Amino acid sequence: MKNTAVWIAIMLLLCGACGLLLSCERARGDWRGDHKLIILGVDGMDPQLLTRFVQEGKMPNFAKLMQEGSFRPLTTSIPPQSPVAWSNMMTGMNAGGHGLFDFIHRDPKTLELYFSASRVQPPKHSIPLGGWVIPLGSGTAEQLRQGKPFWQFLDDHHIPNVVFRIPSNFPPAPAKGLTLSGMGTPDLRGTYGTFTFYTDDPTAVPGAVEGGQIVPVQVENSQVKAKLIGPDNSFRKGAPAAQEPFTVSVDPVESVAKIAFQDQEFVLKEGEWSGWMPIEFQLIPFFGNVKGICRFYLKQAHPRFQLYVSPINIDPASPALPISTPSSYSKELSEEIGEFYTQGISEDTKALSAGVFDDKEFLEQSHTVLAEHRAVFDKEFPKFHKGAFFFYFSSLDLNSHMMWRLMDPKHPEYDATLAAQYGSAIEEFYQQIDQVLGEILPKVDDRTTLLVLSDHGFAPYNRSFNLNTWLLNNGYIVRKEGAVSDESQPMADVDWSRTKAYGIGLNGLYLNLRGREREGIVNPGAEENALLQELKQKLLAVRDPENNQPVITRMDLASEVYQGPYSRSGPDILVGYNRGYRAGWKTILGDFPPDVLENNTNPWSGDHCMDYTLVPGVLLSNRKIQAQAPALTDIAPTILAEFGIQKPDNMIGHSVFEAGGLSWQKGRY
Amino acid sequence: MFGSHKVKIEGELLERAEKCAEAAGYSSVDEFVTHMLEKETKKILGDPGETVSPEVVKKRLQGLGYIE
Repeated sequence: MKNTAVWIAIMLLLCGACGLLLSCERARGDWRGDHKLIILGVDGMDPQLLTRFVQEGKMPNFAKLMQEGSFRPLTTSIPPQSPVAWSNMMTGMNAGGHGLFDFIHRDPKTLELYFSASRVQPPKHSIPLGGWVIPLGSGTAEQLRQGKPFWQFLDDHHIPNVVFRIPSNFPPAPAKGLTLSGMGTPDLRGTYGTFTFYTDDPTAVPGAVEGGQIVPVQVENSQVKAKLIGPDNSFRKGAPAAQEPFTVSVDPVESVAKIAFQDQEFVLKEGEWSGWMPIEFQLIPFFGNVKGICRFYLKQAHPRFQLYVSPINIDPASPALPISTPSSYSKELSEEIGEFYTQGISEDTKALSAGVFDDKEFLEQSHTVLAEHRAVFDKEFPKFHKGAFFFYFSSLDLNSHMMWRLMDPKHPEYDATLAAQYGSAIEEFYQQIDQVLGEILPKVDDRTTLLVLSDHGFAPYNRSFNLNTWLLNNGYIVRKEGAVSDESQPMADVDWSRTKAYGIGLNGLYLNLRGREREGIVNPGAEENALLQELKQKLLAVRDPENNQPVITRMDLASEVYQGPYSRSGPDILVGYNRGYRAGWKTILGDFPPDVLENNTNPWSGDHCMDYTLVPGVLLSNRKIQAQAPALTDIAPTILAEFGIQKPDNMIGHSVFEAGGLSWQKGRY
Repeated sequence: MFGSHKVKIEGELLERAEKCAEAAGYSSVDEFVTHMLEKETKKILGDPGETVSPEVVKKRLQGLGYIE
């Protein structure tokens, strides 16, 4: 008995020692250098706003960095959309090299649309069994970005690195260091965020709204019985959504309610949020379960019942899809800091757009997201001692999208009363990022290089341009006889045998090219080139009758701005809208609203999907930036150069700490 | 015409395919090979048979924020 106990003790000690060695190896590798590179990635930080807040004395840490180091506008990507821009940053290539051209891509053969950066697919094979469909094998999550990101080069050279929440990295690319996926990570339903709103308000229209679902309920004997909606259950015929029942007991007098589901019970006051609640959806009895997490917000108990439930996020403690490297890391992190938003775009902009949230509620939720990000930062940054550390913050981007209208009196949705309350919301988020920089600066010594950068800047989004309507009105798109617009079937009624060009995504204009599109009619070569020039000239000439301003200020031909194997896989022309303009909400997926130009009345009131020269990002460093006009594609080469690694030929940028001439300019976007 | 068909795979390649199938979590090498062929043929021919309704696509994408 005693011997057994001794052996167990020895084995435990050995296991512990092995674990320690492994964890040291993970952090250390074989690298012997002592250089540190810190990269703070701030989505949507705008150079004009940053300069203004610094000059007003509201961002002392950025002021210090500007004074003691350097600050430049950072040329963004073509088009300036986050998945494209961050891919430029991480690979040192433009869209021709990494293959991401827009949030939305299309399959030229089927014209099926999909999110450009990743795809989640169910299992391919199955056996039907009664009402069940038993899948063979498991579903897959596929990353669609091509090209090797900077941290894989660092891995090759055994340089320790950690990369938190960088966009366009879901599922996370294989890595030796710690990575956590960011923008592009879906919720448990496979969407990019679908909230649910339960209400007994008879005026609420039940059913799907943009990015959410309104579920009508009845309060009977002070109780509401409803179901939480989970992922589609591919084990069942027709793959209906898996559901889990929950009960809400509403206090008949006080504005409180008790929510109960599975083995959990908690009480919320009106206006109160729950923490993260784990939920398990049973897909197949006793075998197939999937775990998620969600938060509840009791918007109103009386007189109307209104309960918001966040999108069901992948549970980091038991991820249904890969969200970190190593795969166990998200669990370790959740044990240290608690559960957290795993869906890529965590700020619930759609709840605000749908009127489920008001500005106050949206900002509260956004601050929770930032607080979670800061908690991860505060946990991980002190552990960083050498190699490279990248950390991403989304808050400035999403809040600039939603709150611009209350900062800009010229915006059509500006409201002076709301502006008095929330007009400084964007500024407050900038100040929080300044605080993060304040935590970093004391750790920057002479062995450290610091880069603070954003992927693009920001501009107002006042007016929408419906590109497909313009193409229709000008004869480039022809619809079938008697076609009636049907939002649910965009492009379904297009007569492809007479259509020459079409718009998909936020900046993409495609020709209906013979040999590429399934029913292409434009011949490659002379006819293609003539049509491109014609479209370019005509669209650059479009003026807004409201103010006589040009709507489009750039039209970049893919053949002129992209290099690499995917140069011809995306749009043929990248449409660069003027400041104040963007592709209309419905034209993006191929629909035809009646008007070519219309006011943007959505709370989503700031944007950046326009002429890339109008929305540069920022680049700051503690070292002197030699490049006069640095671009996002320079960042990966800069990172490699910091560690003495030769950049590969397909990286088109250069280290920003080397002096460069104008010859660098071509094709870096 | 559309029945199953046996394909001969030489020893070393088969061994590699078996390793890949195991590493990637496929239930068998047959499933792995079939999936790879599906993927590659789709690249060349497109996949008009596998369509997701535009409504479903729209629902998935709306959470990105840029789409109404």
